Amino acid sequence: MSSSVVTRRLLAKEGDESVYEVFIGPQHPASGHMRFIVRLQGDVIVSVDPDIGWVHRTMEKLAETKESIKAIPLLERMTIIDSQNVTIGYVRALEKLLGVEPPPRAKYLRTLLSEINRIASHLYGMGLAGIFVNHSTMFMWCFGDREVWIQLAEDLTGARLTHSYSVPGGVRRDLPQGFKEKALKAIRYMEKRLEDYYRIFFNNPQVRARYEGVGVLKKSDAKRLGIVGPNLRASGVKYDARLLGDYGVYDELDFEVPTMEEGDAMARLLLRGEEIKQSMNIIRQVLDKIPDGPIMAEKYMRLVPPKLREQALKEGRIKFPGIFANLKLPKGEAVARAEMGHGEIFYHVISDGTKKPYRVRVVTPAFRNVILFRFLPPGHRFMDFPPIYGSLDYFPPEADR
Amino acid sequence: MGVVGMLIRIALSPQFFGPIVFPGLLTVLVVLLSIIWVERKIAARVQMRVGPLYVLKPLGGAIQMLADGLRFFFQEFIIPESTDKLVFVAAPIVAMAFAILPFAFIPVAPKFIPYSVPYSMPVFLGLNTVIPLTILAMAWGSNNKFSIQGGIREAYMTMAYEAVLFIAAYAMALLYGTLDFAEMVDAQGIPGIILNPFSAAAFFVAMIMSAGKLPFDIVEGEQEIVAGPFTEYSGIAFGLTMGIGYVQLYGFTLAFTLMYLSGWNPVPAQLYSIYPALGGIMLFVKAYLLLMFIVFLRSVYGRYRLDQALRIGWRKLFPLSIIAVFFSILLRVIGIV
Repeated sequence: MSSSVVTRRLLAKEGDESVYEVFIGPQHPASGHMRFIVRLQGDVIVSVDPDIGWVHRTMEKLAETKESIKAIPLLERMTIIDSQNVTIGYVRALEKLLGVEPPPRAKYLRTLLSEINRIASHLYGMGLAGIFVNHSTMFMWCFGDREVWIQLAEDLTGARLTHSYSVPGGVRRDLPQGFKEKALKAIRYMEKRLEDYYRIFFNNPQVRARYEGVGVLKKSDAKRLGIVGPNLRASGVKYDARLLGDYGVYDELDFEVPTMEEGDAMARLLLRGEEIKQSMNIIRQVLDKIPDGPIMAEKYMRLVPPKLREQALKEGRIKFPGIFANLKLPKGEAVARAEMGHGEIFYHVISDGTKKPYRVRVVTPAFRNVILFRFLPPGHRFMDFPPIYGSLDYFPPEADR
Repeated sequence: MGVVGMLIRIALSPQFFGPIVFPGLLTVLVVLLSIIWVERKIAARVQMRVGPLYVLKPLGGAIQMLADGLRFFFQEFIIPESTDKLVFVAAPIVAMAFAILPFAFIPVAPKFIPYSVPYSMPVFLGLNTVIPLTILAMAWGSNNKFSIQGGIREAYMTMAYEAVLFIAAYAMALLYGTLDFAEMVDAQGIPGIILNPFSAAAFFVAMIMSAGKLPFDIVEGEQEIVAGPFTEYSGIAFGLTMGIGYVQLYGFTLAFTLMYLSGWNPVPAQLYSIYPALGGIMLFVKAYLLLMFIVFLRSVYGRYRLDQALRIGWRKLFPLSIIAVFFSILLRVIGIV
């Protein structure tokens, strides 16, 4: 696995009788929906086996049994804390198959919700990173402040978590009145709170002692193992699916993709803080630049009966007729990538010309990052295991699908 | 008079009143019930929450812990088949007994001393050193991997704080020229924390380590070893194991107050004339405020790693306590005390 001599020597001891095996999870206060088989020699971790699959819900198979559009509410349950970003890739793949492009206003709205979701997702991860070293204040603060962004998303979409906001051809709802003021207020609040986070958590000597220099992921290893998301960028690789310009309006906006060189657990945490700042920057620009116009592609608006269409244009929310669920997917294949809070998600949709997709393949960021549990902990103390877990922002239901 | 008068005389005698009423058993119960509520309320305040609320709503859920304690009583106490049953059942009871016992040697007010021995300070500290052994017994008796990990951590932590605790306390004994808590209080014209701040700092951190409170709640490390040595316990035995740390901490804050914060001074003369034990009210107030400060640390810090705690113990606190000893000698030589 790892190139270091220490790790190799430790791994060689895996089957040794002197090794003490501890099963962490699935019923453990800090395991999540999974199990870790941790092997210890003294207090030093010899190896860790992440045992995943405890929340496997056959997402890919279920998606084949439904009309293509009905898979959107299904797939967003993979990462319910980040549901816009987890489905936008699927929607883009469907759009590529159907040959339809969303109008500019819809693209801006998608970007807006993506960034709101990203902030909420990062706050979730940072909160868990706090409780993994028993820092309950960080946990409560993050989860409390996440509420601000969830409510903002609720204003926009009508649902707190399961938004089902993006559909092929556009979005379901227009911007509600007074949203800009609320969003700007939330940004001002969050900027103030981030300073508080630095004071009580990031610059706390106890937290620094636990996170700094722990679980160092070198740049070359990060590339070799195919790590994605903030965990990759904290090792100094500037890769972000938003830069590909495949979805949203990221190519029209001015934002940075922060990277860090250290690659340790602290860098992974700090990077999430920086990304929250950039996301707020993006939201500001989106609210300033958002053009007027339709929120749904003309092709699909024509499916709506004229009376309902007028009402939809007036109210800014679209109630689709049943015919929309029966869209036939043209025969072919499409792939799409999107950047979630946890990293890059990849969709591969194959259609045989019926209403239901023939195959939906999902590669989730958590699944790509799970290898780090095997790679990072050997050689560290047993008590370093929770901080490593916390810094990876690993989300078991997403990896299991 | 007769029997009733005799009973009242026994109840009000220092030998009974000290260990059973104040500062002993009954006060310990009240402190235990109230400080956990205070801890949760302070944490809730910092974390923008409400905290316990619904049990006795007009007082903000003040008797939440009483409700929890009652629940512990009625919950089944499961003794797993694989445990060493005698050790498993006896260890928490012995631990609690040894957490309460030191209160018999804590003087309450001037001339109101339950058991007047010239060595009350070392006896107090010595009795507290039994508790880690009972925790080791719990870990061993539980026959659980997480418990054994927790027991080993307890043993390591004892290495980190015990020497510091004793040396820091003996520095004060050197300074005052006595090993008795009551005489120490009498010797404090200036509070000990000003006379020898090195000793106070070392003792303060070491006593948090000893009671296993944040940032040193390593033994119970929930995120790695569930509840450490207490993992297999349920029902009232679990309640006891949770209480040990708080009782120990309360005892240590009393000792800290006696050694560094001039104990029961100033004594309210009127209360003292009614009943001598009431003169110890300032001792209790100071100790309780200190206790509140220590539980507040939970809102600020997380948990240190085991090796970091050992490093703090031996590289920072141990030299600090040695400095405290020499500082005490210096003060004696130039004759400040």
